[in-house]
Amino acid sequence: MRSRAGTRAAIAAASMLAAISTAHADFWSDAAAPYKGVTIRGVSESTPPSNYVKEVLGPAFTKATGINVEFEATSWDQMYDKAIKDMEAKTGIYDFVYIEQDIIYSYLARDFLVNISKALKDDPKLAAPDFKVDNFTTFINYFKNADGDVFGVPMEAFVKVYLYRKDLFEDPANQQAFKAKYGYDLAPAKTHAQYRDIAEFFTQWGKDNDQELWGSTVQAHTGHPASWYEFFESWGPTFGVYNWGINQDGWGATVANGGSMNGPKAKAALEYWLGLLKFAPPESTSSTWDEVAASFAAGRAAQGLVYGENAAWIATNADKSNVVGKVGVALPPLEEGVLQEAESGKGYIGYYDGGAFGIPYSSKNQQAALLFLQYIGQPSVQADWAVAGSRITHQATYDDPKVKDMDAKTDGYFSLMKNDGKLFAGAPPYPFHAQVREATAPFFYEAITGELSPSEALDKMAAAAEAELKKLGYRK
Amino acid sequence: MRSNTIGWLLLAPTLLILTVFGVVPFVYVLVVGFADWNAFAADPTPHFTGVENYRRLVFDDQFLSALWKTLGFGFFAVASEVVLGYFLAQLLMKDVPFKGFFRTIHTLPLMVAPIAVGATWRLLTVPGLGPLPYYLERWFGIEFRLGTYADQAFVTTIIMDVWHWTPLVTLTLLAGLATMPKEPFEQAQIDGANKLQIFWHITLPMLKPTILATVFIRLMDALRTVDEVWMLTGGGPGAATRYVGLHIWRVVFPKTDYGYGAAMSLLTLYLTIVMCWLLYAALVTRRELPKAE
Repeated sequence: MRSRAGTRAAIAAASMLAAISTAHADFWSDAAAPYKGVTIRGVSESTPPSNYVKEVLGPAFTKATGINVEFEATSWDQMYDKAIKDMEAKTGIYDFVYIEQDIIYSYLARDFLVNISKALKDDPKLAAPDFKVDNFTTFINYFKNADGDVFGVPMEAFVKVYLYRKDLFEDPANQQAFKAKYGYDLAPAKTHAQYRDIAEFFTQWGKDNDQELWGSTVQAHTGHPASWYEFFESWGPTFGVYNWGINQDGWGATVANGGSMNGPKAKAALEYWLGLLKFAPPESTSSTWDEVAASFAAGRAAQGLVYGENAAWIATNADKSNVVGKVGVALPPLEEGVLQEAESGKGYIGYYDGGAFGIPYSSKNQQAALLFLQYIGQPSVQADWAVAGSRITHQATYDDPKVKDMDAKTDGYFSLMKNDGKLFAGAPPYPFHAQVREATAPFFYEAITGELSPSEALDKMAAAAEAELKKLGYRK
Repeated sequence: MRSNTIGWLLLAPTLLILTVFGVVPFVYVLVVGFADWNAFAADPTPHFTGVENYRRLVFDDQFLSALWKTLGFGFFAVASEVVLGYFLAQLLMKDVPFKGFFRTIHTLPLMVAPIAVGATWRLLTVPGLGPLPYYLERWFGIEFRLGTYADQAFVTTIIMDVWHWTPLVTLTLLAGLATMPKEPFEQAQIDGANKLQIFWHITLPMLKPTILATVFIRLMDALRTVDEVWMLTGGGPGAATRYVGLHIWRVVFPKTDYGYGAAMSLLTLYLTIVMCWLLYAALVTRRELPKAE
């Protein structure tokens, strides 16, 4: 398995090198000449797009420039742990770090990152002719400061999408049985009530057919923030709960202080989401985003909200997925009025996730890292990367034949992202992102285990959020 | 005078290492413990707040709950390891077939990194994939859901720790048993003592220093357990296995509340020292008794 992956990586690296024009190859070797032999180190979360950088883009960059790339792809927690410790202590271990969209505000507030726009302006010799900020989708805006300067080069961007089992949904026997029971046609859910009905139907179907199939994935780990994120970034918005229910004017979270974390919409959303657990695979309360993708790929769920970075391999990689050719893609189910709010820019319907690579100020090889970031930001490397990791950061990548081919195989995932990506949003611009999450998460976990009712949990969470914001000095 | 100088010179590297890696970080944590310092606060610089962090700790339900759970975890894990380790050590004292093979196999878990132990147990216990939930449900009708049931998660962390560390206890107790003189046992048998009386009046008192030293080491380890549990349950479900080490990790790293985390660390260190001192006192008292006679 490993040798096959290595061979594939080598072939991809070789074809990529060939694809880069001679003129640009000259740029990379010329610009990198002073740094030949230097080793740059990076850390990222182990995801399909990151693994592609590790296996393909890193070696290709080394071949083109003579600069070595040591790339650490680790767990989400460890990645933050290592990156923040390094930048906080200014040890300079890492020359580029993964910046998830939701943490950029914290990093900018602490002045951790090199201003890439300024660095390229100050040293034009390092500016690659192919690297243009305008090539990127609007996702790059998340990594800009108020002046429009870029602090991170996007390396992945995707939406958390509604995946469903097309084969089960389109089965005439299932359609007939569903209509007989619920009185309407079986189709991807557009409302929460429909989603619940479908979850119930297929859970019963699994029992009746002695198959390990449940109605919905639920990312409900009871000791990992993944569950907290699933609620606040994916399901909450579909009920009209935006920005975690925190009022950005006075940093209130409780209804009494202008927030909506413990408002009626949030309480309805949490009650609904917890109610899905009885239609979810038994591993759900131990599932983070990785296990949710694995459960769906194993064919254990009929539908679910799954991070888009996994959509391509779930739909097309027969080595890892049991549901190749059986995956449908749709927008998440919504409460009435939410779509209109999203279209008018007042809300959003789900999570637009992704990340960039940035250069810590503490890096001792900033110039070499700057070259690497531009290398991965070239148009010529984007299409293969999109196919391997179902991520798109350049507008033009959508129109590449390879991506169009993959789009067809994934039931239009890339088209959905292109056409409806604007309805999704990243995390709110909070410099206290992890702090409020950690302050409130224990109550959230207790809601999942049933120690607290949804209403009690959200009341406690809203109070804890406000106390933390006050302690941090944001809320007066 | 000359030998003194040479002595200090020989000690210098050790003292330097101890100072740099022991004393300096300790003093640093001590100082940080008196500060309000969060890297992502509106003002991210440290501010001296005196004993405020320690005052907060006394009323912090989450910390106190983590502390109690850790004590429970430490008590049950170490007690189980000592009892099990003693029986296995006794078994290895006898001439049983495949003794050498068993001793090697039994010692293997000691060589596994805690994070790998946690990962292995996670694979064993995750519903839908692990064999443990599958067979428990199939054979005994037990619904095993580590992410849902607090008592199952708590017990599983104890069993995992017992699996990992019982071999250490076995080896130390085996060493203790092997060095015991034979005469007291022979005399007791001649006097007609039964097995229980021999255990209670001879084996246990003679093995007590070894047991206490083992408990001493294991308790310190159990109270600072993080990686195994972090990998297995993440501290859940809810806060059921959020032991104090894991709680401190969450406060210091994801939450970046350095001052409060430092205070928690120091208080936990203090409690660990007190408990170990009590064990040490018990050990010394026992040794001093014959002198008093």
